[in-house]
Amino acid sequence: MSPKIGIQVENVTKYMGPNEALEDVSLSLEPGLLHGLIGPEGSGKTTLLRHLIGLLKPSRGKVVYLDNGKPVPFSQVRPQMAYMPQLQSLYADLSIGEHLDFFRDLYQIPEKTYKARRKELLQITRLGPFLDRAAGHLSGGMYKKLGLMCALLQSPNLVLLDEPTTGVDPISRREFWDLLYRLREEGILIVITTAYMDEAERCDRVHVIARGRHLASGEPQQVMRREKVRSFEELFIRYDKELAKK
Amino acid sequence: MFSVEVKNLTVKFGSFAAVDGISFTVEKGEIFGFLGANGAGKTTTIRVLCGLLIPTAGEVRVMGLDPKKGLEPVKAKVGYMSQKFTLYQDMTVSENLDFTSALHRIPKGEYHHRRKELLDFIGFRAGTGRLVRELSGGTKQEVSLVAALLHDPDIVFLDEPTAGVSPAFRARFWQLIRRLSRTGKTVFVTTHYMDEAEQCGRIALMRDGRIIALNSPEKLKKEAFPEPLYELTPLTHSRAWVGKLKNERSVLDVNPYGMRYHVATRDGQAFRKAAGHMRGDFEIRPIRPSLEDVFIHLVETKK
Amino acid sequence: MNGFFQPGRALSIARKEVRHILRDPFTLGLALGLPLLMVLFFGYAMDFNVHDIRLTVYDQDRSRASRQLAEVFQSSGYFQVRYRDLGPNPAAALDSQAAKAALFIEPHFERDLFREGTSTAQVLIDGSDNSTAGVIGGYLSGIQQAAAQRLTGQSPPATPVQITTRYLFNGELNSRWFTVPGLSVVVLAILGIMLTALTVAREWETGSMELLLSTPVTPLEIIVGKLAPYLVMGLIAQAIIYLAARLLFGVPFLGSHLWLLVSTLMFLAASMAQGLLISVVTRQQIAAIQFSQMAGQLPSLMLSGFIFPIESMPVFFQYLTMIFPARWFMIVLRGLFLRGAGFSELAGPMAVLLAMDVFFITLATKRFKKDVEP
Repeated sequence: MSPKIGIQVENVTKYMGPNEALEDVSLSLEPGLLHGLIGPEGSGKTTLLRHLIGLLKPSRGKVVYLDNGKPVPFSQVRPQMAYMPQLQSLYADLSIGEHLDFFRDLYQIPEKTYKARRKELLQITRLGPFLDRAAGHLSGGMYKKLGLMCALLQSPNLVLLDEPTTGVDPISRREFWDLLYRLREEGILIVITTAYMDEAERCDRVHVIARGRHLASGEPQQVMRREKVRSFEELFIRYDKELAKK
Repeated sequence: MFSVEVKNLTVKFGSFAAVDGISFTVEKGEIFGFLGANGAGKTTTIRVLCGLLIPTAGEVRVMGLDPKKGLEPVKAKVGYMSQKFTLYQDMTVSENLDFTSALHRIPKGEYHHRRKELLDFIGFRAGTGRLVRELSGGTKQEVSLVAALLHDPDIVFLDEPTAGVSPAFRARFWQLIRRLSRTGKTVFVTTHYMDEAEQCGRIALMRDGRIIALNSPEKLKKEAFPEPLYELTPLTHSRAWVGKLKNERSVLDVNPYGMRYHVATRDGQAFRKAAGHMRGDFEIRPIRPSLEDVFIHLVETKK
Repeated sequence: MNGFFQPGRALSIARKEVRHILRDPFTLGLALGLPLLMVLFFGYAMDFNVHDIRLTVYDQDRSRASRQLAEVFQSSGYFQVRYRDLGPNPAAALDSQAAKAALFIEPHFERDLFREGTSTAQVLIDGSDNSTAGVIGGYLSGIQQAAAQRLTGQSPPATPVQITTRYLFNGELNSRWFTVPGLSVVVLAILGIMLTALTVAREWETGSMELLLSTPVTPLEIIVGKLAPYLVMGLIAQAIIYLAARLLFGVPFLGSHLWLLVSTLMFLAASMAQGLLISVVTRQQIAAIQFSQMAGQLPSLMLSGFIFPIESMPVFFQYLTMIFPARWFMIVLRGLFLRGAGFSELAGPMAVLLAMDVFFITLATKRFKKDVEP
């Protein structure tokens, strides 16, 4: 399948709490790539991501969805989108298998498609042996993988993940990234947020957000070269200092 | 003398082993990093060491004291900055510190002296009459550190002290940690950030209640990767060479890394030679392994 | 999009909810334990009946009729009769706390009865214990009837309705008959509101609502899916109360079981929709619990006629009770149990309940947020 769905964020401003607001953010999410919205906690990454999935409406500006470069209404893209919130959003008392069944029903996936998809996902996440374990008893990494599985069950073309690797150990983190790369091979547009600066370099494109503003976008190493910093950490520290001077 | 000695420590909640037979020591004045996912057993271990939790099995010594023989002496030598609760949001900085000092029964004169010293130490300028909820996240964490140090403990346990704090504050906080360690205090810190782990004297990685790696960052890297690592930047859209590289004998592993690839080698020279035949497909650049690379490698070789 | 309401998705929500319920001992315990506990408490401990009232009889007539009158009191089961001679100050008998009530029979009691067909005896009641006095007063009119029958050997002529309403359908003056069916109102109101108030708030608090909202599921599907399992639980609670009422306390059931089922469903739906509304608006479990206790207990205990008769409330409160489903369900229940009321009689209150169902469910659905805007 060739990648086709893209998103254009145009001058989005959102009035909210001081740590969630957005100020005139414009950026472009090209099809088929793995995009990272990076920024420290409270920079507005989650707010921006929630705009993309329609859980928040911009106070000003708009979010435009593109199919093969042509604008299409949100309602047309919506069924192809999957989302994984930042908070622990699964049901602690339901097992992995029960979660999958629940989301099958919510998405009304035909049984045959479901069976195949479920088998495939359990295999790549290596969660098969834990099918009967309740979500509340999963380790941090397994929990996030289950969240991802629920999101991927309906074979979306667009996946939005809010801090999927926060609070996960380095090994599970790497496994998670391997999963993301596999998805990218299928031509899916992936957008993740992360507060770990070292993860920025793992993305195809980074969009740097600080205090509700969009600072830079591009291929990670090019962005660092352009901004003359050795790490994204440095970029944020410099930005904070500039603000303090003003 | 060790600040912390742990032998075969096990903590069970029901049938679930949160900590499963771990052993380690921490030296005096050391910055000891504790890494692992949420639920790996870090916080449980810290609670045992602070005398807040009775272990199911195993031996524990903190500053030479056995918590089983009485918690009070242990608590007098230990400072703890918890992950969740630190300060009362609706009280002023001053009121919070007064309260902490009362809990530890610090004599008045000593309290005022310590308090001034510590507030200077963190460079506190916001004013002690301010309500805690009016402070920025980073300043809150620094004041929490002051509260944890007020009774002049020999060792402080910091449980994710930099979670939810801006990069600039993280850098500042680690300066404080290094200065503490220079004054002879032992610092035991948990974190999710790899760049913070790099700044520790030694680090332990916990997974499912067990310690799966423990050493200084440099030694861990040397042990895991005696031969160099390379980053390859593709020059064309073709990825046919990735498969070919994976079959090279000099190559340990090829992993995607954004638009680029990271290659671990068995033999650096042999790899460069082999890669020379594929010039035009990618650019090649030696890189230093990250701690994350190290942990992955350790886990996979142990399997 | 997949349409406004798809039964399959509502069902999946319901199935998930059932799993939560089965795995949460607190919810299950609340739903099954509360009705039992309330029935036992109100049925046994809170007995509004008064037994063995000490009654001193001052019989100055000492005739057959006067003895028969005293026997009627004795055989009613409520009084313990003791004969005394009239002292200089009759009220002293009550002052000394030796008796709660005293019966004075004048010297010409029997003569008057046979000559004039009517005769008078006087009962003095210790008014210092208000509630007992009220109960005794209540028993008296029942005893009056019994006495008339015994003394004249024939049924009394028809008596004015307002005096006898209470006892016509509860001839034994048994307060349990009156309270136990009314318990359904209290239990179902508390259960219905509490259980549902927690469920949506919990999903907001844990963050799972955000995930649900990102799927195609619609608010109506969530609401219907969440109501259904609790509706079944409410019915089970009602069954427990019904069985306890019939088997433990021998309360008669004169009406139609079908109408009992229908009205129970209506009342449950109204309570649960109120709970959902609370949940949808507060989005926090603690606030939801506080609100639901207010909305669940206060009206059902105080303003439904369960403890305080509505007719004896100030006018303002009489009107206020009308906005609570509890009042209407109480009318239906007492009618069904004790009077065997038919549909024509129940249609009014049931129509009100139905209207409330529609109102609350619509409001809850309307107020259900489809986004995470603050």
